[in-house]
Amino acid sequence: MFESISQVRDALAKQQYIATDEIATVVYLADKLQKPILVEGPAGVGKTELAKAWACAVQRELIRLQCYEGLDETKALYEWEYAKQMLYTQLLRDKLSTILQDTRSLADAADRVAQEEDVFFSQRFLLPRPLLRALTCDDPSLLLIDEIDRADAEFEAFLLEVLSDFQVTVPELGTIRAKHMPLVLLTSNNTRELSEALKRRCLYLHIDYPTVQAELSIVRMRVPDLSPQLAKQAVEFVQRLRGMELKKYPSVSETLDWARALVMLNAKSIDEKVLENTLTILLKYEQDVQRAKRVLGEFKGGIGDMDDDEPRGNLPRYNPRRGR
Amino acid sequence: MDQRIVEFIAALRAAGVRVSLAESADAFRATEVMGVLERNWFKSALRTTLIKEEPDQEVFEKLFPYYFGSGGPPLLNPTEGMSPEDADLLKDALRALLGDNERLKDLLKYIMQGLNPSQAELDEMGRRAGVPLSRQDYQQQWLARRMMRQLGMDQEFQELVRQLMERLREMGMSDEALRELAARIRANEGILQEQIENYVGQQIARQQAEQNPRQPFEGPDLMHRKFQNLSESDIQELRHQVRRLAARLRSRAALRMKKGKRGTLDAKKTIRTNLRNGGVPLELKHKIHHQKPKLVIICDVSTSVRPVAEFMLRLVYELQDQIAKARPFIFIDDITDIGAAFQQYRPEVAVEMVLAANPAGYYNTNLGYSLAHFTQDYFDAVDHRTTVIILGDGRNNYLNPRLDAVEEIKKRARKILWFNNEDPRLWGTGDSDMLEYLPYFDSVHEVSNLAQLAEAIDKLFDIYA
Repeated sequence: MFESISQVRDALAKQQYIATDEIATVVYLADKLQKPILVEGPAGVGKTELAKAWACAVQRELIRLQCYEGLDETKALYEWEYAKQMLYTQLLRDKLSTILQDTRSLADAADRVAQEEDVFFSQRFLLPRPLLRALTCDDPSLLLIDEIDRADAEFEAFLLEVLSDFQVTVPELGTIRAKHMPLVLLTSNNTRELSEALKRRCLYLHIDYPTVQAELSIVRMRVPDLSPQLAKQAVEFVQRLRGMELKKYPSVSETLDWARALVMLNAKSIDEKVLENTLTILLKYEQDVQRAKRVLGEFKGGIGDMDDDEPRGNLPRYNPRRGR
Repeated sequence: MDQRIVEFIAALRAAGVRVSLAESADAFRATEVMGVLERNWFKSALRTTLIKEEPDQEVFEKLFPYYFGSGGPPLLNPTEGMSPEDADLLKDALRALLGDNERLKDLLKYIMQGLNPSQAELDEMGRRAGVPLSRQDYQQQWLARRMMRQLGMDQEFQELVRQLMERLREMGMSDEALRELAARIRANEGILQEQIENYVGQQIARQQAEQNPRQPFEGPDLMHRKFQNLSESDIQELRHQVRRLAARLRSRAALRMKKGKRGTLDAKKTIRTNLRNGGVPLELKHKIHHQKPKLVIICDVSTSVRPVAEFMLRLVYELQDQIAKARPFIFIDDITDIGAAFQQYRPEVAVEMVLAANPAGYYNTNLGYSLAHFTQDYFDAVDHRTTVIILGDGRNNYLNPRLDAVEEIKKRARKILWFNNEDPRLWGTGDSDMLEYLPYFDSVHEVSNLAQLAEAIDKLFDIYA
């Protein structure tokens, strides 16, 4: 349990996660109000990373449920282990026959077996999937439901039930209540609109691409081997790319990958040659690479010119609301 | 404070943000936990509980200061840091200059003594300036200026300040003290202005909320209004709703797909399910039938059909994940392949670009020629799995309708559909060739408003239709 918001920020910073005021406040509130957080934002701004850092900071086990099209209850909640049940039946055959030895009629025998039925439908044969595990594990946990926008609408509805009561019903066993309230974090890349009901139940957090300063401190923290000057150049370059009209913008994780590559290549500065070799780490579409090269080509003398704060000509700035 | 939060939520709702009862309850709990001392935290607490959609953040940012601003920074006290003698000098000078000038009494109280206007005083000033009648954002600046003028902030006041300074200098106030005083007076003018602007903004937001306690979005109504009767702002509003609409269509499409219980046997799933039956396959499992439609869309973008075409393209591309492949074409006098734009840019941008690049009104619609040209140059887009949709009003300027081209398309495509934005009663009147085209089409939908358009698109996903 956190005592204050600054404590949240420090704890996350210790896990190498730089939290803005906004993030720290929401995490603190989620902790206090026992509410799930729904994190939205472009891919690769550290949504999943937040869950990991948070779990480490509060020393809880991170249980992750990755969503995809076609995910259903058996994969998310629980499944009976049929194979194991069959195996046990085989092994226990002798014991069964002794139990049934003195029965006279078939009905009698069936009744006798029915009495033992509980053995086969017990927790022993229940294979807990992430959701059930988060509810039943002995220590409090942190449940990460990743990319909920990829799951089907029916799964979303089912998830609502679990998230509002923190209990699930297994027909053969009855209702299983959460031993501890798990902390819950859902992420979404906003590829589709989530249902209003789900949003209503969550605290909402929108994480956008970081500012130059924030991104620089992230790079410095995660890739300490990169020289400060080069780190600054690199971050400014990435921010510049985000100002262009691209199909896919470079994410923070790609900035980090690129920074690591620069260290690996022992680059002294970001010149044309280095860019030629490494631009594909940042940009994943051939069209984007071409467009970036074309625009960058206009800056004779390479990246050095990009430090200035002149108005950036005809380059549109990154605008997250574009097109809404 | 609770009352303030309630009013704030009402204002958010009036501005079109959906806030449910549960969410407002959350907001109260969150602010209780957070306390009101740290403004930024308080703000975050409200935002995270009330605003669940990124575009709504803007509204939140705009309204928040009106309700929880300090109403602008407090006024400075000009005598603060002055020696007692200087303060006395100032008082004397003011008295000598003004006597009992009633007109500037209030203004001087604020500026010269640093007393902040009370809520009652602001209300009174506002009433005189006509603030309670305003419900329009754009009137804020104007009303604030009017309040300032009525307070007496004008040339005369500036002249008075100048005289005051002169007199104080004559009375022997040091240059340094004078400079300090002048700076504080100037600062106070700015602060007072800000306080008043905030007050006006807050009042306007409140009055909007009161006048309009329900959500102003006339969603259902707008969806059923004919495209041609929509104003530019209505269209803007509907654009925002397209995503939501698409979400609904998507879940319907997904649900239907689940029901598909024909087709290939899923051996793996069947064995697994039937383990409980001792391996006897009592329950058969089939592969989920993901037959997504393959579309060719031919849109008329002449003036009359333009808005429909825009929404058609937006909706189809919002539903991309439910579609195997879509090839979009537009025409006025000739057919144009606009697939490239959609490949390069995100759909919203592409739609805007395409429409901007093909302005209406310069050419005469020639559907027949466009279709014939389509069968000549782009016929590779059509195969036996493709559904061809023509969106237009079927008005051909008395030119050759080229029914042969339509027949050719019909022969090759899986289905050929027509989305018409005109009332069926008008089909065949004037230059409309609709009735001649009619027999060639598998189905024809009237799409004169967004609801009908959504319904027609929804039908595309019906795999058994």
